[in-house]
Amino acid sequence: MHIPDGFLSTPVWAALDVAAVPALGYFARRAQAGVEETRAPLLGVMGAFVFAAQMINFPVAPGASGHLMGGALLALTLGPHAATVVMTAILLVQALVFQDGGITALGANAINMAVAGVWLGYLPSRLARNWGGATSRLAVFLGGWLSLFGAALLAAVELSLSRAAPAGPLLAALLGFHALAGLAEGAITLAALEALGRLSPKFVFQGETR
Amino acid sequence: MKRGLWAMGAATLVLVTGVALLSSNAPDGLEWAAQRLGFAGRAGSTLPASPLADYQTRYFNSRWAAQASAGLAGALLVYALATLFGRSLKRKK
Repeated sequence: MHIPDGFLSTPVWAALDVAAVPALGYFARRAQAGVEETRAPLLGVMGAFVFAAQMINFPVAPGASGHLMGGALLALTLGPHAATVVMTAILLVQALVFQDGGITALGANAINMAVAGVWLGYLPSRLARNWGGATSRLAVFLGGWLSLFGAALLAAVELSLSRAAPAGPLLAALLGFHALAGLAEGAITLAALEALGRLSPKFVFQGETR
Repeated sequence: MKRGLWAMGAATLVLVTGVALLSSNAPDGLEWAAQRLGFAGRAGSTLPASPLADYQTRYFNSRWAAQASAGLAGALLVYALATLFGRSLKRKK
């Protein structure tokens, strides 16, 4: 899912770089205003954990692999504002140090995974907040699926606009693959969040204070 | 919360020094699509090669050492960046 340099045309990556800066700045300020400093160690530990989890590719289809993206997991532990910032930090380290994801494509990757991937992961749980029980577990699973699928949809649109390949086959390949990989994303997100909740309820995001 | 933080730190360590060795080398979804649709060749790098490129530290002969050291460095860097940002969060009233 990390778009390398060269896949996107200049107008597409440049526009997304320009759009990403104010968007990330906004989410960072919202996190600073709404998340308490006592949660700082959690930001570090969850960021490191998701980075590590992203190193592990598992087979999804014959000849193709996927790894946890972690947008939903970060959103449901840190809250969506802080999660956007932490995911951006992960993408920065991956692009600059490990050459996983392009430099010019950083804006695109941040919009796809740190913004859409985090917020789509958060959305079902936010909607289901007051329902409780099995519904909230379903919402966590759905958030994992949706975060990956939504990020893939954006990537497919960006690649189509860049004329990397015709839109139809591009959408079919990326959406088909990530609809399948999303099942693993949802299952891992649910299992990890339940384990974290048992370790300490404070690991599960309960809303920001104002 | 402290116990949970240590547990997550330990889990991270196990992932980068152990489980990562089992990671599949098959292309990821995007690379796979790029190969099938014929645009994989467009990929290029704008930076000179990093000594940690592809999560393998260049100077190690053992694959385990190369990968574990790269993973550890990355996890520590992300931890440092996220904690640094965390210090700018609001103080409890």
